[in-house]
Amino acid sequence: MTIKVAFVGKGGVGKSAIAGTFARALARHGEPVLAIDSDPLPGLAFSLGLARSDAPLPDDAVDEKAEGEEGPRYRLRAGLSAAEAVESYATTGPDGVRFLQFGKHWGNANALWRSQFAFRQIVRELPRDRWNLVGDLPGGTRQPFTGWGNFADTVLVVVEPNAKSLLTGRRLARLAEAADRSWRIVAVANKVREPGDAERVAARTGLTVVGSVPWDEALADAEKNETAPIDTAPDSPAVRAIESLVEHLLVEAPVTGTMQEGVA
Amino acid sequence: MKVAVVGKGGSGKTTTSAVVARTLARHGLSVVALDCDSNPNLGLSLGVGDDETERLVSMRESLDEGNEEHTPGWDQLLERFGSDAPDGVRLAVVSRIDNPEPGCL
Repeated sequence: MTIKVAFVGKGGVGKSAIAGTFARALARHGEPVLAIDSDPLPGLAFSLGLARSDAPLPDDAVDEKAEGEEGPRYRLRAGLSAAEAVESYATTGPDGVRFLQFGKHWGNANALWRSQFAFRQIVRELPRDRWNLVGDLPGGTRQPFTGWGNFADTVLVVVEPNAKSLLTGRRLARLAEAADRSWRIVAVANKVREPGDAERVAARTGLTVVGSVPWDEALADAEKNETAPIDTAPDSPAVRAIESLVEHLLVEAPVTGTMQEGVA
Repeated sequence: MKVAVVGKGGSGKTTTSAVVARTLARHGLSVVALDCDSNPNLGLSLGVGDDETERLVSMRESLDEGNEEHTPGWDQLLERFGSDAPDGVRLAVVSRIDNPEPGCL
């Protein structure tokens, strides 16, 4: 049994900080964890404790499909399986977390397309029971449900208790439901400052709140210093809350095989 | 003047845009505030409220439905798809995606 979560939410709500800490905490339970970053911004690498933010597929891992071949225009090169691509190209970070990032090819549309197709193929074809997957998706409402989040069986909508984040959370909940997949959609309240904040998140998004992470200067400091909260503030209330979230999801992990094959 | 506000998510683009728009309007300028974000929240920061922000239908969405006989002009679009915000700012939401479709980056 493995868990596969995708973190979504408004920009700046703390998706990357939570996702990275979540991945590390999950790995400490002895689980094989692959952290996947489809956000072109480098937040996840830092919160995992990786110095480098680039862990893309090399160009030679991707081929244009042959004449007459079915499927998307670009795919992993012949003979390279999704599992092998992860073994070969995912960076290894602290606690053994593997990390793969959707390539950042600024201004190079062709390389971006190659990378995008291969990246989606990997998350689609990865053996379901091999890896626990923790995905950090781009902020906002545009991308999560257009193929990027298909690997997930649980979508975690990160919501800050302010008007814009709550409205975004509600939109994401609606979009996830409209996407008509069998995933579970729940909320994580973040930057919680006062009693009632988590309840407000539940009421305004219509989602069950499975985790409540308090406002914590230690997390803000980690972000400023480009360090992993679980390394620099292991005893902080926020890190503790994320560890509790991991334990909660491990207990409640759905049986595998519920994902529909996604459309690339 | 025409100002575009950009930056990372959560850095304060929307709040900055709204304060700039209303401040310019208070100086007597005629101001149009365009929310180009696919997750449009500018209405909240301008002060038109939650329901009105959600009610605004994007120009693009309506045009995509193919109900227009010909492409309307900018002034018609502002009139039909905009909303009046405090200080006389005219708000229009020009990007919004409600239906997830595969294939777009």
